[in-house]
Amino acid sequence: MKNISFSFLFLFLGIHVNAQHTHVQNDTTKRLEEVAITAIAKRKIETEMKMAVSVDEFLASSDHISFIKRGAYAWEPLLNNMSTERSTITIDGMHVFGACTDKMDPVTSYVESNNLSTIDITSGQGGNMHGATVAGSIDLKRKSTPFGLDKKWNGAYQTGFESNNKQFFNLGNLSYSGDKFVADGSISFRKAGNYYDGNNDEVNHSQYNKFNTAVGLAYKTSPLSSIRVDAIYDKAKDVGFPALPMDLWLSRAFITSASYKQLFEDGLLRAWDTKIYFNAIEHYMDDTKRPENLVHMDMPGWSTTYGLVSRANLRNGDCSSEIQLNVYNNLSIAEMTMYPQDRSKKTMFAYSWPWVTTRFAGISMNNSWDISAMSRLNFGGSLGWNYNHSKYVEFNWIFHPGTPQEKDRILPGLHASYQLHVNQFDFSIGTGYGHRAPSVSEGYGYYIYNSFDRYDYIGNPDLKNEVSYEANASAGFKSKKMGIEAKVNYFYIQNYIVGRILSLGSPMNYQSVGVKGYTSLNHARLFNTTLHANYDILQHLHWNGTLMYARATDDKDGNLPFIRPLSYQTSLYYMHRQFGIRASVNGDLTQEHYSPEYGEDLTPAYMVFNMSADYTFSFRNYKAVLQIGAENLFNEYYSTYADWGNIPRMGRNVFTSLKFNF
Amino acid sequence: MKEILFFLTTVCFVVLSCTKEKTDYEAEIDTVVPEYKEFKEAYAINSDGYKISIEALNGTFYTGYNEVRLEITDSQTNEKVNVSAVTFLPIRTNVDKRNVSCPHRYDLIDKPDDGYFSGYAVFTDRSDADGSWELYISFTIADQIHTAKQDISVHEQANKNMNMAMFEGKDDEQYFIALVSPQKPKVGENELVAGIYRFNKPNNPPSSDFPDASQFSYTEVSDYTLQLDPRMPEPSMGNHSSPNNKDLTQRSDGLYHGMVNYTMTGNWTLNFILLNQQGQILRGTLVPTDFTPGVEGVKSELHIDILF
Repeated sequence: MKNISFSFLFLFLGIHVNAQHTHVQNDTTKRLEEVAITAIAKRKIETEMKMAVSVDEFLASSDHISFIKRGAYAWEPLLNNMSTERSTITIDGMHVFGACTDKMDPVTSYVESNNLSTIDITSGQGGNMHGATVAGSIDLKRKSTPFGLDKKWNGAYQTGFESNNKQFFNLGNLSYSGDKFVADGSISFRKAGNYYDGNNDEVNHSQYNKFNTAVGLAYKTSPLSSIRVDAIYDKAKDVGFPALPMDLWLSRAFITSASYKQLFEDGLLRAWDTKIYFNAIEHYMDDTKRPENLVHMDMPGWSTTYGLVSRANLRNGDCSSEIQLNVYNNLSIAEMTMYPQDRSKKTMFAYSWPWVTTRFAGISMNNSWDISAMSRLNFGGSLGWNYNHSKYVEFNWIFHPGTPQEKDRILPGLHASYQLHVNQFDFSIGTGYGHRAPSVSEGYGYYIYNSFDRYDYIGNPDLKNEVSYEANASAGFKSKKMGIEAKVNYFYIQNYIVGRILSLGSPMNYQSVGVKGYTSLNHARLFNTTLHANYDILQHLHWNGTLMYARATDDKDGNLPFIRPLSYQTSLYYMHRQFGIRASVNGDLTQEHYSPEYGEDLTPAYMVFNMSADYTFSFRNYKAVLQIGAENLFNEYYSTYADWGNIPRMGRNVFTSLKFNF
Repeated sequence: MKEILFFLTTVCFVVLSCTKEKTDYEAEIDTVVPEYKEFKEAYAINSDGYKISIEALNGTFYTGYNEVRLEITDSQTNEKVNVSAVTFLPIRTNVDKRNVSCPHRYDLIDKPDDGYFSGYAVFTDRSDADGSWELYISFTIADQIHTAKQDISVHEQANKNMNMAMFEGKDDEQYFIALVSPQKPKVGENELVAGIYRFNKPNNPPSSDFPDASQFSYTEVSDYTLQLDPRMPEPSMGNHSSPNNKDLTQRSDGLYHGMVNYTMTGNWTLNFILLNQQGQILRGTLVPTDFTPGVEGVKSELHIDILF
């Protein structure tokens, strides 16, 4: 309780500080100034190697993100080496929750690169603007064309082919920018077959089909206000998950929002943006295509969320603040029905998510104070209320007799950081404190089969909040020709939620070996560090390199799973006029700190070479880029520390793509 | 514009299209198991100017455990009469003319507040071509003993949760275990109630008066223990079980109470081991506890299958 009142005080203190400087500052900027404080915004959805990337490939190019891969599709992003329960993943601030109990549909699988403009990745408590978090936040920013561009119609079309899995894709987007009216639209198709590993063996069940379309319409209601409606429809069909005992038959997402934005020319309040949203996701697994399954289980899942995001930007002299209200309601349902060979008969029925409602309401604040031209202080906090309700609580009572059907939690969060800029040097130091509530699976999951350690997982509604204490620091040097930056962060997380073997349970899923229940470790410690450098060797020849290391231990100094071993990435690129050529090498060292307890084994080191070349040309009014390249040039056979079930990664993949802009 | 139109069409498609239906869990549980809560008159006998009304759940006798209520009224006035010492004896006459009974309460318990006499019968077989059931009832009014007899029809119990088992123990005695409750189990914790009875072997030859109650005597065994291990027997379920189950022990109502947890709907087997007061096994075997997908679960030699 002390913590809560303290954070309240902190929040209002922030407002108070701002209110004291009430002199009017003349600022005629009519566009919303984004107060990106700790956000590492990626500006363009393409990587250095490849211009036509999937959302997953794009995220993979960030230092903070690693992936658990269950196949070629729908990778689960790990932020600061922590799984998706510990981060908030949003689309323009909207909360969307996957409908699959086996995490086959992270939120990132429901968008496409051509309807996003950037992805904001915020590490640690700085990311609590969108709700309580431990690891940070990933906000997928949708494309939104500004009003009144000189060029009214803009569009791009991109097509390409990847040889390894015969992926063929077509991405198109079109926008209209009028003085009063703006429209954005995009459509994409991707179809891929099975991929081949480095030994040229086919990895069965790794195909996918994805269709995505989005539309956004905005209307300027006054010179300083606008309304906007957005919708995304995504459909994935016949997606193989080679690392799991089942595939995806169909998943569909329908993500909509309506927002109102008001800008103010003067005064404390500069911008106010309110959005209501609704999204519905359905996810149907299919295990009938696997001959090894003697019995079949239908595992459909549904996740429906509606909510409100309201955010205000305040500015006063050297201070700027952002206040955001997040409210949402989510209903997660997942069923299990087992059939013997004769499908007309039913063997069993149970809920893996027994109609679990999650309600969240929270207010977050972020303040930035430019103390001098050289230094800046960022501080903020959030306070949230999290409510869970399990409709068919009898499933939870099996392992937790008499546990209440409803649960309220208060989730405070605080963070502060100080940035110093001296000549060519940058330094920052920061700290954070925050709570998070257990996810639906951790709290209310029932016999959720985890094919990695082959245990059935049982949620525990009585889990305590996970409490994170965090410290981070960075130091960098920048000159005209080179830059170097080192970043480090450390998390001490109390009540760290993991699955522990239950002696009393009996497994249920066909391939499982036992039952694990979610329990809290007394604490866990995570340490992440990255070193990044770039150097311009010649005017047109550039080099950059990244070194990443992470270490995580539990309360008995045992290793936590899915922690990236020392990994590196280095690339050279040469660009001259219309021609560019790039080469890169990336790899991991041997994963020495693996965790047998969580089903991990030693993953050997690997090194992968990539190369690509592009040529830009224009004809008439079109600008076009042609790119050809190869990933895993030497056809290395490898799998990474986070490949579910050690499935091998893709072997040599020659890709080509062509992009037109008009 | 084209895209917008296309998009709107897609939206309509999404809204209208039929996806997989969610399972109507509540309806599903309701249909599988018939549940009877109401006592109705099954038979009425008019004898010596008295009306004997025999009530059972749903007005029907089923194989397995049946609670029985008897009301005795004056046929003329329809008023309650002062009755004492009501006895109740079900007899099955097989085609070979052999008479058997089944576990029952011979001396019914007077429930003056509720206005009836309470008893039970655990019918071992249904009425069919091989045999038929009769109830022999006696009661005393004003020191005068009246008797009555009624042919009854016993139906097969459709609710597997009310199944029973009949076996010979290692002590050469004949035992009966009948499930009493829950009629309609739910996912989660269920109080499991069963009656355990022993046939008292008659010491004397039958007397000339039929029926001789001493030939058809059963006891509710006391202070036994019924060890419980519930499992899902189907091969696909791989011998799945549940946690937090409690063995059945006797309570003051004479019945045995324990706790069973059903983790999901489907076919379950209640594997039992019956121990006497000294903890000696009378019947039942330990079942494997391994998870064996694809193999049908091994059942205890003493078990009752239920469906839920």
